[in-house]
Amino acid sequence: MNIMTLLGFGDKGWALWLLLGAMLTLAVTAVALVIGAILGAAVASAKLSASVPLRVLGNAYTTVFRGVPELLIIYLIYFGGSSAVTSLGQWLGYQGFLGLPSFIAGALAVGVISGSYQAEVFRGAYLAIARGELEAASAIGMPRSLRFRRIIMPQVFRLAIPGIGYVWQLSLKDSALVSVTGLVELMRASQVSANSTHQYFLFYIVGGGLYLVLTSLSDRVFTGAERHANRSMPSASMGKA
Amino acid sequence: MTAQPRLSIRDIRKSFGTLEVLKGISLDARDGDVISLLGASGSGKSTFLRCINLLETPTSGRVFVDGEEIRMLQKNGKTVPASQKQVDHIRSELGMVFQSFNLWSHMTVLENVIEGPVHVLKRPKAECIAEAEALLEKVGIADKRHVYPAHMSGGQQQRAAIARALAMKPKVMLFDEPTSALDPELVGEVLRVMRALAEEGMTMLVVTHEMGFARNVSNRVVFMREGLIESSGSPEEMFGSVASPAFRQFIGHYGN
Amino acid sequence: MDLAFLSSTMLTLIAAIPMTLALFALSVSLGGMLALVVVWMRVGGNPVLAAIAKGYIFVFRGSPLLIQMFLIFYGLAQFSVIRYGPLWPLLREPFVCAVLSLALCTAGYSAEIFRGGIRAVSAKDIEAARSIGMSGPLLVRRILAPIAFRHALPAYSTEIVLMMKSTALASLVTVWEVTGVAQRLIHQTYRTMEVFLCAALIYLALNFIVLQALGLLEHRLSRHLRPVPGGR
Repeated sequence: MNIMTLLGFGDKGWALWLLLGAMLTLAVTAVALVIGAILGAAVASAKLSASVPLRVLGNAYTTVFRGVPELLIIYLIYFGGSSAVTSLGQWLGYQGFLGLPSFIAGALAVGVISGSYQAEVFRGAYLAIARGELEAASAIGMPRSLRFRRIIMPQVFRLAIPGIGYVWQLSLKDSALVSVTGLVELMRASQVSANSTHQYFLFYIVGGGLYLVLTSLSDRVFTGAERHANRSMPSASMGKA
Repeated sequence: MTAQPRLSIRDIRKSFGTLEVLKGISLDARDGDVISLLGASGSGKSTFLRCINLLETPTSGRVFVDGEEIRMLQKNGKTVPASQKQVDHIRSELGMVFQSFNLWSHMTVLENVIEGPVHVLKRPKAECIAEAEALLEKVGIADKRHVYPAHMSGGQQQRAAIARALAMKPKVMLFDEPTSALDPELVGEVLRVMRALAEEGMTMLVVTHEMGFARNVSNRVVFMREGLIESSGSPEEMFGSVASPAFRQFIGHYGN
Repeated sequence: MDLAFLSSTMLTLIAAIPMTLALFALSVSLGGMLALVVVWMRVGGNPVLAAIAKGYIFVFRGSPLLIQMFLIFYGLAQFSVIRYGPLWPLLREPFVCAVLSLALCTAGYSAEIFRGGIRAVSAKDIEAARSIGMSGPLLVRRILAPIAFRHALPAYSTEIVLMMKSTALASLVTVWEVTGVAQRLIHQTYRTMEVFLCAALIYLALNFIVLQALGLLEHRLSRHLRPVPGGR
C-alpha cells in the first residue's frame, strides 16, 4: 500500500490515530508531572527536615524509585493497583476482577518515578536560595508560613525550572513504557499500526519522529519559561548595571 | 535622662559549643542614640548585634525593646524564645541592614520595600507604595524602583536595603557592617544616607570599621574585645587623650 | 509474610541475573566505544561530521529507547536485504537486537557527557602539552582524554546506572532478564508486591555494586586532588 495513504487522514490512513496517541502521551506526562510535583515536594521536605526518620524515609524513596527499572514500577502499580482495587471491590460486595484504569495506573507510575527526580530538583533549588535572603525575611518579622509563601516558594520555582524541564523530558520517554498496560498512547499507537499493516519500520520511524517533535517542542517551552523566570537575574545580554 | 531606653540589653552571653563568643554584654540605647560598635574581627560585635533581634539565640541574658522583654525559656537545657509570635513582632520593630544587603532577588526594589509593610504589618498597599517611593527618593534611588537587585551596584542595593528596613518604621535600626562588602568608591553614598538618618534622630546601632563615621556621626562609641566591652564613651573621649591603650592599638591598625 | 514464596521468587530471579549483566556489560562497552566515535565526530572540526553527530545525539536522546528497540527488532526484519544478508543469523536474535539498541541509545547520551568533559579541559593544559611538543593522538591520549574522562565520570556514573535500569526493556523483545522473569512471576502468582520487592532488591544491589566500583575508580583518578599523606 502507498505510504502516503498509510500516513494520511483517510479510511486507510493512520495519521489521526497516531496524533491521538501523541495527545494521550502528552496527557499522561502532564498528569504525571503534577503527581510527581506533589510527591517530589513532600519527599524534598522530608529529606530537608530535621527529623531523622523522615530523612531516612525520603532518602529511601529517591533511592528505590531512581534505582529500580521504570518497567518494574509500572508493573507494580498497574498489577498491584488492580489487585488493590479488586479487594476493595470485594469488600464492597462486588465479586470478580476490577482493573485499575490504565491511564490512571500509567500516570501514577510515571508520576511516582518523576517524583523521585523532582524531589532532588526541589531540594537542590531550596539549597540554592541565598541564606541571607531567608535571614532578611526573618529579620523583618516574617512568620515561617509567610516566609515560605513569599520568599521560598517563588525562588524554588524559578531555580527548579531547568530541572523540571529535564524531568519532563524523562517522563515523556518513560510514558512510552505505559504502553505495556494497553493504554493507546503514542508508543502503543505506533505498535498497533505497525502490527496491523506489517509496516513496522515505517510506523516505528514515524512514531519516533513524533516523539522527537514532542521533546524538541517542550525543550523550547522550557527554555522560554526559564528565560522569563530569570528576568530578575543578571545576564550577558542585559549588560552590567 | 529619665526616659525609658529604646533598647536595653542585659548581660548577653553566647557560646558556640565550648567557644564563648559573648561573655556578658550590657548596653542601653536611648531615643536618638547613634552607637558605633567597633572591634577587631572575632571580637563578637556582629554576633552581639544578631543576638538583639534573635537571629542568634543568646545563651543567656535579657533584651528589652521599649520596655518589652523578649521572653525566653529553658528547653532541654537550651535557651529558646518563649513565643515565636513575640519574636516576629519585636523583629518587625527592629530594622536590620546586612553586610551583604540580602535583598530578595526575585522582587524589584519597590516590591522589596513594600513586602514587609504589606504582608507583615498588613497595611493597605497603595499607602505603602506611596511611602516606599518617598523612602526611595530619600535614599536617592527613586529611578531604580522597578529594577531587580541583581541589576544594581552594591551601593544602590545597600541603599535599597536601608529603605526596606525603614519602611517598617522601626524603633531602632541595626547595621551589621553595612559598607564592608562595598567597593571603596561606593562606601560614601551609603554613609551619607546613614548620616542623614542619624541627623533625623533615628536610634541606631552600627557595627562598622568606618572610623570617620564612628567619630563624626555617632554620639557613643563602644569598643569590643574578646567578647566583652573593653571601653566605651563619647567620640571625644574615645578618640581623645583618655582612650584605653587597647583601643589606641586597635585604631592604629584599622584607623585611617 | 510468606518466606517460602519470597525465597523461591528470589532464587528464580537470581537465576536471571547473568542475562541482565550480559546485556548491561555488552551495551555499556559497545555504547562507550560508539560514544567515543560520535564525540570525535562532534568536536573534530569537520562541519559535516559534526552535523551528523549532532543529528545522531538528537535522535537517540530525543525518542524513547523502547521505540528504538522495536524499530530494530521488528523494523529491520522487514527488509529482504537484511533478512537474506550475512548478518541475519545475528540480527534475528532478540538478545543481539536488545544489546544493539541499548548501545546505540547510550552512545547518544554518553557522547554528550564526554563532550562536557572535554569542554572542562582548560586551554592551559593543552598549551602546556603543545609547549613540550605534543600534538595529535599523543596529546589526546596522554593529556586531553584522561582529564576529560575524570571530569565526565560523575555524570557518566549516572548514565551507567540508567543503563542498568534500561536493560529491563529487553524483556519486551522476549529476552528473559530479571524484569521479564519478574513480570512472568507476577502473571503466574498475582503477588505483585512480593515479586516487586525481590526484583527491586536485586537491582538496588547491582546498582550499589556498580556505583561502588565507579566510586573507587573516581577515587583513584582524583589522587592529585587529595592532600599528600603525611604531608603538611
